[in-house]
Amino acid sequence: MASKNSLMTWIDRRLPVTENLERHLTKHPVPSKVNFFYLFGALLMVVFMIQVITGIWLMMFYTNTEEGAFASVEYIMRDVEYGWLMRYMHSTGASAFFFLMYFHMFRGLLYGSYQKPKELVWLFGCFLLFLLMAEGFLGYVLPWGQMSYWAANVILSLFGAIPFIGESLQVWIQGDYVLSGATLSRFFALHVVVVPLLMIALVVFHIFALHEVGAGNPEGVDIEKYRDKTGMPLDGKPFHPYKTFGALPAIGIFFIVFFAIVYYAPTGGGYFIEKPNFEEANFLKTPEHIAPVWYYAPFYSILRAVTFGIPFLGITSKFLGFIIFAASIAILFIVPWLDRSKVQSIRYKGIFSKIAMIMFATSFITLGYLGTKPVNEIRTFIAQICTVFYFLPFLLMPIYTKYEKTLEVPDRL
Amino acid sequence: MLFFISLFGNTAGENKCGELEKCYSFNSSVHDRDSLQRGLGVYKNYCSSCHTLRYLRWNRLQRDLDIPETVLVDDLISNENVKTSDFVTFGLPEISPIGAPDLTLRTRVRGDDWIYTYLQTFYQDTSQATGSNNLVYPGTAMANILIGLQGSQELDSDGKLVLSSKGALEPEQFDSAMEDLVNFLAYASEPARVERERNGIYVILFFVVFTAVMWLLYREYK
Repeated sequence: MASKNSLMTWIDRRLPVTENLERHLTKHPVPSKVNFFYLFGALLMVVFMIQVITGIWLMMFYTNTEEGAFASVEYIMRDVEYGWLMRYMHSTGASAFFFLMYFHMFRGLLYGSYQKPKELVWLFGCFLLFLLMAEGFLGYVLPWGQMSYWAANVILSLFGAIPFIGESLQVWIQGDYVLSGATLSRFFALHVVVVPLLMIALVVFHIFALHEVGAGNPEGVDIEKYRDKTGMPLDGKPFHPYKTFGALPAIGIFFIVFFAIVYYAPTGGGYFIEKPNFEEANFLKTPEHIAPVWYYAPFYSILRAVTFGIPFLGITSKFLGFIIFAASIAILFIVPWLDRSKVQSIRYKGIFSKIAMIMFATSFITLGYLGTKPVNEIRTFIAQICTVFYFLPFLLMPIYTKYEKTLEVPDRL
Repeated sequence: MLFFISLFGNTAGENKCGELEKCYSFNSSVHDRDSLQRGLGVYKNYCSSCHTLRYLRWNRLQRDLDIPETVLVDDLISNENVKTSDFVTFGLPEISPIGAPDLTLRTRVRGDDWIYTYLQTFYQDTSQATGSNNLVYPGTAMANILIGLQGSQELDSDGKLVLSSKGALEPEQFDSAMEDLVNFLAYASEPARVERERNGIYVILFFVVFTAVMWLLYREYK
């Protein structure tokens, strides 16, 4: 609706506000029938905003030095008005971010949200997962507790395991021969400026690319085929007000759960903020059991599952673990080119695709559980099996999606 | 399936409470002000000669525990060089010469159960330099400072604790004193918990109403 308002006309001549509002909101068609899996994107935007706003507040009172970091977090928890609320929202927000991200991506896998022409949407999303993992890791170091210090040590030592360049690379990243205040202050800079800026840029690309190719639906039906006289797809509705108002109850329910955790279980039983992190970092004292936060646990499990190297190539088990750990994330990037199926949605794919999805989800959850526990022989063995089951659905995807029998996709939603 | 069962078996077998199979169960509460005040009393009398509360301020303690100014200044601080906005260090140095840890965040590191059980399970052991040992933390460097209250405990042939001589308090009274102490330590570890647990329900109720209204809006545009 072009506004006759003279101010809007004046602005629109100089900056295409109305045009873009219509393009991305009031006239942007989205499928009329989707399920709850399609709400996670909106919720992720909400969590991103929570993290940015609470993060700015925390930054006002946080001290990024080895001597002051731990005490400044306690200062925020005690002396800053509602500092505890900001901190718990930020720490719970980190967990919520990953929780929603995993569901959002699983939706993508289930309903083929990466298939042509949505490859770029998926790629930007994978980059966002990678950046989120980096952001979470950098942020977890900042409170400078025991687990901050020792978990960071484990991860940084992985860079040290790279042959030839490893040791100098690790020193270069740390800015010191050991993990120290030099590392802390650069991690702070990366956590509050560099990574969030990249994430904002990628979110913009993610959404622009999505609006170019159009949102998917659980049926995998192309809604662009049939349009009414105004050009609106028959199975589509404008994004605003239908989808924006549709997301609001979900955002409300999300906030109920979110604040129930923030107010009544902010440490998440030791899974969101681990107990040893209430003790200041001490390089002389290693905690009994170093565990990553739950959201890294599946990948950490994969890392630990590799107990063997390739000696004749000079590859240690640690380095091979690092490679397979990196591959477990990298393989997500190429999913659009692994899937050869004629149909998008799992609903119309064959039995092998369904088994593969169950296999992937089960192994991901099992790996996650194992990652939070100390290792022993049987757990390592299960983690190794699950690592294979994590990769198989992707590695075999070009074969089973090409040859399995698919069902006929309906014409309309 | 067997794999999963074996996983849980392993979890249960992990020893997290020293020589005890499981710690005594105790969940701290920070909403009973009398209990917190009594806990502070126990702390002042039995802990404060070695352990600091480095992140807690006197005036925060005064406000939350409703302590009169005179009691705070004369009985608790009793040092004219210490201001009420200072931290609760009892004049102890920042690094304890005998290695006694700061206790401000201890319940968050160890958990309520662990601290509560630790305080209850000291027993006489002549092989130790302090003359006593602990079931939860074998070989602990801390002396059995609570022996006057609890009485002296010994291990019987089954490894169970038995009271060999009575202390100033009956066993139930001692239990309740330790509950007060752990409540106080839990408060010290997170003073904002009082406000957090009291106000959370209103925030959640707000979002319940918000969701209901938004649901009605959504139905209009379904």
